[in-house]
Amino acid sequence: MRRLGYMFGAALAVAAGGAAADTFPDGPITWVVNWPAGGGQDTTSRLVATRLSDALGVPIVIENYEGAGGLVGMRALAASDADGYTIGMLGTSSIIQQYTMDEPVMMDDLTVLSMFGPDPAALSVHAGTPFETLEDFVSAAREAPGSVPNGNDPPGGASYIAATILENELDIALNKIPYGGFAPTVTALLGGEVSSATVPIPQVIEHHASGAVRILGVMSDQRHFLAPEVPTFAEQGFDVVAGDFRAVVGPAGIPEDRAAILSEALVSVLSSDAFVEAANAAGYMIEPFGAEEAQARILAFDTAVYPVLESAGLVTNPR
Amino acid sequence: MTDLLTGLATAATDPTLLLLSFIGVMLGLVFGALPGISSTMALAVLLPFTYGMETPAAMMLMLGVFFASVYAGSVSAILLRIPGTPGAMITLMDGNAMAKQGRAGEAMAFALVASLFGGVIGWIIMVTLAPVIATYALRFGSPEYAAVVFFGLVLVAYASSGDTLRGLAAGAIGLLIGVVGRDRITDVPRFTFGTAELQAGIDFIPLVIGIFGIAEVLSLLARRRADTVSGIPTLGRRSWPGWRALVPEIPTALRSSTIGAFVGAIPAAGSAVAVALAYSIEKRLSKHPGRFGTGTPKGVVAPEAANNACVGGSLIPMMTLGIPGDSITAVLIAVLLLHGLRPGPGLFENQPELIVTIYAAIFIAIIFTGFLAATVGLPLFRRVLALPQRVLLTGVLLLCLLGAFAVRNSIFDVWLAVFFGGVGFVFMRLGIPVLPLVFGAILGPILEENLRRTLLIHRDWMVFLERPISLTLIVVSFLVLLGPPLATLLTRAAQRRKR
Repeated sequence: MRRLGYMFGAALAVAAGGAAADTFPDGPITWVVNWPAGGGQDTTSRLVATRLSDALGVPIVIENYEGAGGLVGMRALAASDADGYTIGMLGTSSIIQQYTMDEPVMMDDLTVLSMFGPDPAALSVHAGTPFETLEDFVSAAREAPGSVPNGNDPPGGASYIAATILENELDIALNKIPYGGFAPTVTALLGGEVSSATVPIPQVIEHHASGAVRILGVMSDQRHFLAPEVPTFAEQGFDVVAGDFRAVVGPAGIPEDRAAILSEALVSVLSSDAFVEAANAAGYMIEPFGAEEAQARILAFDTAVYPVLESAGLVTNPR
Repeated sequence: MTDLLTGLATAATDPTLLLLSFIGVMLGLVFGALPGISSTMALAVLLPFTYGMETPAAMMLMLGVFFASVYAGSVSAILLRIPGTPGAMITLMDGNAMAKQGRAGEAMAFALVASLFGGVIGWIIMVTLAPVIATYALRFGSPEYAAVVFFGLVLVAYASSGDTLRGLAAGAIGLLIGVVGRDRITDVPRFTFGTAELQAGIDFIPLVIGIFGIAEVLSLLARRRADTVSGIPTLGRRSWPGWRALVPEIPTALRSSTIGAFVGAIPAAGSAVAVALAYSIEKRLSKHPGRFGTGTPKGVVAPEAANNACVGGSLIPMMTLGIPGDSITAVLIAVLLLHGLRPGPGLFENQPELIVTIYAAIFIAIIFTGFLAATVGLPLFRRVLALPQRVLLTGVLLLCLLGAFAVRNSIFDVWLAVFFGGVGFVFMRLGIPVLPLVFGAILGPILEENLRRTLLIHRDWMVFLERPISLTLIVVSFLVLLGPPLATLLTRAAQRRKR
């Protein structure tokens, strides 16, 4: 009798599993944002989530987390059931945290679903500084190492790493001043407390337009669509590429068929004209790649950033 | 000016916009009055509903929630001794004392009138002085932040009643609580005891819910049955103060509102500093400073006028520079971004109609808050208080635990709240004031961060004395600290000379 019960139960489970596989998703999806409402990670997530909800025909609920530089949220995401009903946005700081934080979330703990897009770093200076060109900036920083106060994240954050890459590649030393996020960094740049900042273009473009800030260069292969007149670092003879990018991920072990459904839906949403228009209006670059390309980007960043972290003395969990 | 009037008229005659503002205010009143739900959380919850709306409609809803929730934070502070927001922490001293004397209705009425007054003054300052204040706010660098927070801590030490030594001890414990978590300058974990949970630090909400709310429930439960009645807030018969009672409060409300609007405009300084400042100045100016903390209406009027004036002030950096001053305006900026608007210094020239919508939204929110709170809110809270004590306390405890959980979806925060409930209870028994502890925990990290950043940039302590704003703040801080003992010495010397 008991065995019969087991078999019955097992048959039900198989049937239910089969049905679910056919109709995935058939219930609400939770979208983890590892930063509070209102930040870049949150805005980009909401831009995608509303349209993904229409594409998949199920509601998507945004869940904001806060704390430990986004790690609290990543832990919640990695620990969730790998049934495809919990996904979230990954930023480069989570890749960095693998080596700099206690009890980190490793990239192996996640299933990569799609790319979102890059958010390249830029070097901006306060309008009152004498730095008219990148050349001016670099020679000043070389002449008096540590004399230029640069606004950035606390160690391990995206704009801190951008500043470190800048220092390493150009063989200069900045006085890296940490602020709790892009908003206070930009405030300090506007007030002239720091001479320069290594935050992404969307954070400074309006101030560049108003003349309060000069963007000297973009740390990317290509110019930014918001500031087409600002040359890249490479164009000015400095080989520096740095910045943030975002990808959509879930916990490790999402069944392949479900991951494929999510990935395809994400790519089609990210490629749609209406979405790109909305994202561009909010200042974000879109690169609608699928899981494979996104995985490759993450790996490439992972490989490239490790020596930078090592040189900056930030590694506490060696590879 | 004509634009403003036209904008106001447009908003006031558009039924959809009016309805959204009304709904926003209603939700704001509910969320704000519930202990443990901050204004930020209320706005974040409602953010998805704005996706499909036009930008003005979204702003009407969100700003309605914003203003009403800031006012409603005073309700739980007065009735339950649980401040919903940092801005309501000062209100609970005199507000809850009044409630325990059977004057809860009066205290809530004073809070409402002061909030509306503060809201209007903050609104006027925002509309007339936004660009001026924006430039002055930018002059606030790390040294100024450090100095203003130091000033705030000194004021709290001065304002909180009771034994100075115990107050200082509580403040020091608060500063230590603020140290827990990842260091904001070097990102190194401190006092986390190797746990993942403490890496994120101790959040304000579980701390406050525990140390005020749970501790209060515990202390009520610990009373002997005979005197259960004495500590329970009661409304009292009089619920509306007459004009004669309101008129003497006008100077207090005026000063406090002005302080609130200006301090609110400094990014990240926030309402905690504003209310401490407003309260201590009133205490200083009062002929009866001893009455503060024992249930004087001035002790409710000053912080409530200040924190609602902060609403207008805090929108100034967002409108003029496109920078969120705090977590609340960060959500508002997200609304604009999701609607394809990138706020920045060009907002005033490029989106004048949006600016006018913001002005109109706040103004209408003030009117609806007054109307809804007076007609529905106060009678409703009267009902809540009339509930049997065992039901009320169970409900409060439940809300406390839910609120603690909701901050970060973390059961760890619930245990933190319970732990701080125990701490608060013990403090109460020992006669140690908890207010300095909470302010220490909130302001300590801001002080530390800005102090260390100042030294990283300028590499010299003298910078605090070289910059006019920080110099003034530091001098005034020491005057406040050393003033009373010096004054006593001087009067003694004068008396001796007379002889």
